[in-house]
Amino acid sequence: MSMAFHHDPVFREQLIVRYLGRGLDAELARQWENHYLECQDCFEEIRASELLIRGLGEPTVERKRVNDVTVLKFAPGTQLLAASLELAELSDVIRLESDTRVLIDLSKVSRIDSTGLGMLMNCYCHAVKNAGALKLLNPDAAVRRVLSVTKIDSILQTFEDEAAAIESFGIARA
Amino acid sequence: MQCEVASVPVINLYTVCYDSDNPWAPEAPLLSVLMNFSEEDLERLRPRLRFKVCYEVGFSCPDVDDIVQETIARFLLAAREEKIQNSAAVGAFLNGICRNVVSEYRRRNMRDEPMPEVVPEPPGKRIGEADLFDLREAIAQGLSQLSERDRRVLRGFYLEEKSKEEILKESGLSDENFRVVLCRAKERFRAIYVEQTKHRTPWRH
Repeated sequence: MSMAFHHDPVFREQLIVRYLGRGLDAELARQWENHYLECQDCFEEIRASELLIRGLGEPTVERKRVNDVTVLKFAPGTQLLAASLELAELSDVIRLESDTRVLIDLSKVSRIDSTGLGMLMNCYCHAVKNAGALKLLNPDAAVRRVLSVTKIDSILQTFEDEAAAIESFGIARA
Repeated sequence: MQCEVASVPVINLYTVCYDSDNPWAPEAPLLSVLMNFSEEDLERLRPRLRFKVCYEVGFSCPDVDDIVQETIARFLLAAREEKIQNSAAVGAFLNGICRNVVSEYRRRNMRDEPMPEVVPEPPGKRIGEADLFDLREAIAQGLSQLSERDRRVLRGFYLEEKSKEEILKESGLSDENFRVVLCRAKERFRAIYVEQTKHRTPWRH
């Protein structure tokens, strides 16, 4: 039986997913445990899958509230490109959560294309229509250049300091 | 609730010297390893057994290490008394002992206060704040190395529990490409796991 676990990596992976999700029948779970207690290779595969599942399950857009302002931050290495999962999540966060005072932290965004820019503008329009505002925080050099070339930086206010950005929402409302 | 570790005869872990360079190589049977182990060998077995125990009683159970210790002690005693008949099924024997110890632990707990049979909790609960931060960074870094397509495929496989056929149909990948995506991602995250465990107390991961 132990050889069967090594025979096909996809089969082993399906087994691991079901084991971690507690979806294996008792007998197969017992056989799998018997095996990984002896097999360091399979044990490491379980732990790697666990990390991968955890990572995939993490929200790609972190959301926090500071003084009535919603601050959105992306995971490191995010690319706001067509078909990026982060774009859909960004849209959901802003539209479904009805946040109208939004600060988007772009410090972890390494690339942005026209779809990403379009999504930022959509979110901006949504916020403005609802008497709110959307501002940007800390874009890196590459993203800043794109914002400048497209002149979007003349519409979306950009800050380098989070506290100053948060404060600016208060001034805008006053 | 403590396990009755003290009731098991104490085995002197240092009476037998094992001189193999790599007692955990696949060709070294678990029985011979356990019969001739060093402290280092024991520390390499412990994470597997610990994971199995956590899987049974929950990652935040305060008595996990006691259960692991009790299991190892009973196993060594059985090995010493030559009660292990089938040396090819040592993992099964060890698993059997572990299940018995967990059952006894649950029964004792049930007598004191009701508790759920299984308390699935994320392993992160037992990790220190600094380690957890490093782990999250490493996971995020690992994910950022995956392409959008790979992430969608992996989400389908791991989180949405789609069948391989469904994923192939949706992504347009061939069977071979799917295996490559899966193996490449696993390789990265396995490296993350190995790297992370180097920085932590060995038996806590």
